[in-house]
Amino acid sequence: MAQPDIEPLVRCQGLSVAYADLDGGLTRVVSDASFTIGAGEAIGIVGESGSGKSTLARALLGYRRAGSSFVSGSLTCAGQDLLRPSPRTLAALRGIEIAMVPQNPLASLTYHIRVGRLVEEVLRTRAGLDRRAARARMLELLDRTGLPEPKAIAERYPHQLSGGQRQRVVIAAALACNPRLLVLDEPTTALDKTTEAQVLALIESLRREREAALVLVTHDLNAVARACQRVLVMKDSRIVEDGPVDQVFGRSRVAYTRALLGSALSLDAPPPRRAQRGEPLLDVAALGFSYERGGMLTRAPSGRPTLDAIDLTVGRGEIVGVIGESGSGKTTLGHIVAGMIAPCRGAIRFDGRPLAGHVAARSSEERRRIQMVFQDPLSSLNPRMTVGGSLVRPMRVFLGLGRAQSRERATALLSQLGMGEEYLRRFPRQLSGGQQQRVAIARAFAAEPDLLICDEITSALDASIQAQVLDHLLGLQSRSAAAMLVITHDLSVIWKLAPRVVVLQAGRIVEAGETSEVFQRPRNAYTAALLEAATRARRLKSGAATGHADSRVEDALVPIGAD
Amino acid sequence: MIVAVARRIALSLLTLVLLAIFVFVATEIMPGDALDVTLSADELAMIPPERLAQMKRELGLDRPAAERLVAFLAGTVQLDFGLTIISRTPAADIIAYPLRNSVLLAGAVLAAAIPLALALGVAAAYRYRRALDNAVSAGAIIGYSVPEFVIATVLVILFAVLWPLFPATITAATRDPAHVLLAAAPLPVATVLIGSIAYLARILRVGMIEALASDFVERLRLTGVPEWRVLLLHALPAGVIPSLTAMALYAASLVSGIVVVELVFAYPGLGQELVRAVTRREVHVIQAIALSSAVVVVGLNLVADLAILLLDPRTRR
Amino acid sequence: MRGFARSILRRRLAVLGLALVAAHLAIALAAPLIVPHDPFKLLDAPLEPPGAAYLLGTDELGRDFFSRLIMGGRVAIAAALAAGFLAAFGGGLVGLAAAYYRGLFDDVVSRLVEMKLAIPAILFVSLFVTGFGQTLPVLVFVMAVIKMMGVIRTARAQGLVLMEQGYVKAAILRGERGPVVILREMLPNVADLLSVEFALRSSSAMLLVSALSFLGLGLSPPTPDWGLMIHDGLQSIRSEPWLILAPALCISTLVVGMNFAIEGVADAAGLEAARGTAGH
Repeated sequence: MAQPDIEPLVRCQGLSVAYADLDGGLTRVVSDASFTIGAGEAIGIVGESGSGKSTLARALLGYRRAGSSFVSGSLTCAGQDLLRPSPRTLAALRGIEIAMVPQNPLASLTYHIRVGRLVEEVLRTRAGLDRRAARARMLELLDRTGLPEPKAIAERYPHQLSGGQRQRVVIAAALACNPRLLVLDEPTTALDKTTEAQVLALIESLRREREAALVLVTHDLNAVARACQRVLVMKDSRIVEDGPVDQVFGRSRVAYTRALLGSALSLDAPPPRRAQRGEPLLDVAALGFSYERGGMLTRAPSGRPTLDAIDLTVGRGEIVGVIGESGSGKTTLGHIVAGMIAPCRGAIRFDGRPLAGHVAARSSEERRRIQMVFQDPLSSLNPRMTVGGSLVRPMRVFLGLGRAQSRERATALLSQLGMGEEYLRRFPRQLSGGQQQRVAIARAFAAEPDLLICDEITSALDASIQAQVLDHLLGLQSRSAAAMLVITHDLSVIWKLAPRVVVLQAGRIVEAGETSEVFQRPRNAYTAALLEAATRARRLKSGAATGHADSRVEDALVPIGAD
Repeated sequence: MIVAVARRIALSLLTLVLLAIFVFVATEIMPGDALDVTLSADELAMIPPERLAQMKRELGLDRPAAERLVAFLAGTVQLDFGLTIISRTPAADIIAYPLRNSVLLAGAVLAAAIPLALALGVAAAYRYRRALDNAVSAGAIIGYSVPEFVIATVLVILFAVLWPLFPATITAATRDPAHVLLAAAPLPVATVLIGSIAYLARILRVGMIEALASDFVERLRLTGVPEWRVLLLHALPAGVIPSLTAMALYAASLVSGIVVVELVFAYPGLGQELVRAVTRREVHVIQAIALSSAVVVVGLNLVADLAILLLDPRTRR
Repeated sequence: MRGFARSILRRRLAVLGLALVAAHLAIALAAPLIVPHDPFKLLDAPLEPPGAAYLLGTDELGRDFFSRLIMGGRVAIAAALAAGFLAAFGGGLVGLAAAYYRGLFDDVVSRLVEMKLAIPAILFVSLFVTGFGQTLPVLVFVMAVIKMMGVIRTARAQGLVLMEQGYVKAAILRGERGPVVILREMLPNVADLLSVEFALRSSSAMLLVSALSFLGLGLSPPTPDWGLMIHDGLQSIRSEPWLILAPALCISTLVVGMNFAIEGVADAAGLEAARGTAGH
């Protein structure tokens, strides 16, 4: 373990970074940040989007985005000034002493150049190798980062690789010159949980092998719990907490950190007890969906995840969760039940009667009884329509209510969601994300549905607001006794809402059952991986996990590159 | 890859067939037939009905429209656009040399415009929102806002009247060899060049700005890869690829611009023939000109599509 | 809104452009009131030089050139604005409908757009003028059709983005009919875009109509029109170059002004695709 207090590699004192407005004012994205990074130390920087963590990470390479400037403070790496660096300092540091693994590996790899060449370029221009040496070293690096058949991979273009493979290529390029500090910006956001575990394990083993320091920027506390020793928590451009991971996660005194942790899944809390399964309301049998490719002259539709042999029943007033990662087909399932796309195979029965596939073929009553809430709160409300207008429309279409009546009900709905009458006249842009999502929920309940489909309704919200929105949703649900199909990748949402859950992987249901049963004793390996990744931070708190050096990390190295 | 290329070519051919049908419908069916269009109302009134019917028979206009359309398409494929109504010469012969001359002019313009526009667009994007960019952007707006015929006449006043470097009108004949025509054409080329550079530089600038703002450029800069490599090897192709479609769309405007300058300078190209045909209401010549320029435009669009296939690996599936 | 106005005023070229457009519109509107002479009347000998009696002399028929110059934008500007309006809002609706309905309608529209984009505007007009006659309504209609194609493309692309928005999906799930979804949910959200398109297409229609007049395919004499005036001036380009330069200046300042204004306003509204060039 490193000794950060002897000779810090990076010393940052009172750093502020700001963007200039057109009006000449300054908006600070990093305020008064002070910290050090010791040689070989692994530090996590966590915070919600917009907290300034990415800007801080870039500052470590003496880099600022166009329009921003270093306002005050000092930042040095190995004694070199990073805020006002000479071109020669930068040339000596970037890519050589300090390397960055950027957030989005697909966009970060030049799409018209083969990945092997991209890695070779760094070796030739930065490590000074000749063509032949660069090629040999490139293959070595690809091999070391766990890519199968490096020779074949090197000849591919970025879009031809899987997400995990791209991430490995980007890591290989960053490691080209054996940097003393490796900065990773959200390295696992684009990956599924199985691949994420492998990439984190890879980073961890590379760090120890090369004795490099590591900065992991992420919103995922579980990733930090897995890979880091120390953690900085950022909120609204400031560092609000700085300390060893087990201390910060275990007994934080900062309310914000506790809120972040609160959104992480804890299986300690009692499982939800809600309405038992009544008579079936929605019955999905042997449902299948696949996209046939377009013909010669028609545009081929973009690939949508396929579904196969889906059986699912939702009882009256019951809440059923659907878990899966992006690409698992969970959103497609929601869209099919809602009637946005028709299934290719299988049948849907609603309240005992067969339900037409496409919404246009369903009766108005069926449309009213099945409502949907979408993921992105801003885009789910018409920006040109007031909140009142958005809420009144379904009442007029479905319930035939008059102007005064529907206005009254809209006011009542809003007040149940903790929002006053004055919001009726506001436009979506004038609301916060949480308020927007509450309005979207109110709009769905305005139709007095029997089944509500919630598609990732909290994913776009900050952790601190998610719980509040879910509480409001539960409040309305219990009053109206509507059944819900809760679709999410977030296990804590399921734990909180749904007594019963199905797990979707690659278009198939791999596990189904009582949520408490599935979460505490998963029978499927994929479910277990999801749970492992989601509970790490909390298990640190309860003392069940022991930080980064976990034997399971080494085990996870085995299937590397198989993504 | 082969499927993608075949698909593009098939789509281009389909577009051309549709265009041919459109040209036929627009000129021959909707308001009347070729004869009605060619002859003015006064002339029509003067001709006895029997004579008119006989003329229509001779021109094949008494047959049903669908039959004539098939004959028109069949003729078009063989480059037979029919005879002119007044002088009874094949329309194809009338436009052959003017077409060559116009293509020559367009080629000269593009050969100069593309490299210059590329240099200006890249330089402006690289100095985004700074003096150079502001100058290029404002210059480009002026360049494509001033009509070609204004630029042409101003150039004539400047370089043929006030300072007689070049002749005001071109003395070369329709069938002169290419080098004679080009030697006589610096002012027409310059005229179209100004608008072309303005238009193309603007498109390329936007493409380059997007490319320079991309994550891969940031990654390269954070890795310390030399800036010239970032700019020329990574950003430049990424900036040009999405611009190609918009650049190909410019082909149609280019033809329009060429028609105008040919008139100002009396350059013996399609523009001259077009105006002559419109004033004499020679339907077959107009059809032939419309189709041949459509072939040029569709062809340039195809070239752009194929270039994208070649340069962007993501499009080759 | 005030912030938006201030953001425009900070852009010098946008201010210059707006001033030029305003001046041209004011002159065009007030033209019949401010002309010193009847622009249609043969007043004097042809090609009189500029002087006290006739500010810019007389044209080749002996009409007051200055009066004709002042009147020379009216018809063309009106035609261009009408064509631009039809193009922006007609094209906007067609593009949104193509995005909404997809399928055969979309395929046909997309193919038509592609086809039209392959015909040079001047040829397209020639075809129509040959068939339908060279009248102002035909001219406006044809220009609207020509300028509409680009708008359809833009609106269709934006429409496809809107179709993925939750509020459009919600409307479809409510069972709202197509026209309701398009007019209530989609159109208001492309209004900004279509306004810019209207200005953009009007300015290029202005270029087109004057080029057509210049070629003898657009407005016909004796309408006072800058394109026609430049065409007529070619005969006396050596002796009376101002007969060309004055109308040339008028067209150029108008179109340049329009495009400076459009660029500045669109930029201030954040509609330009281009963003920053990343960091250092």
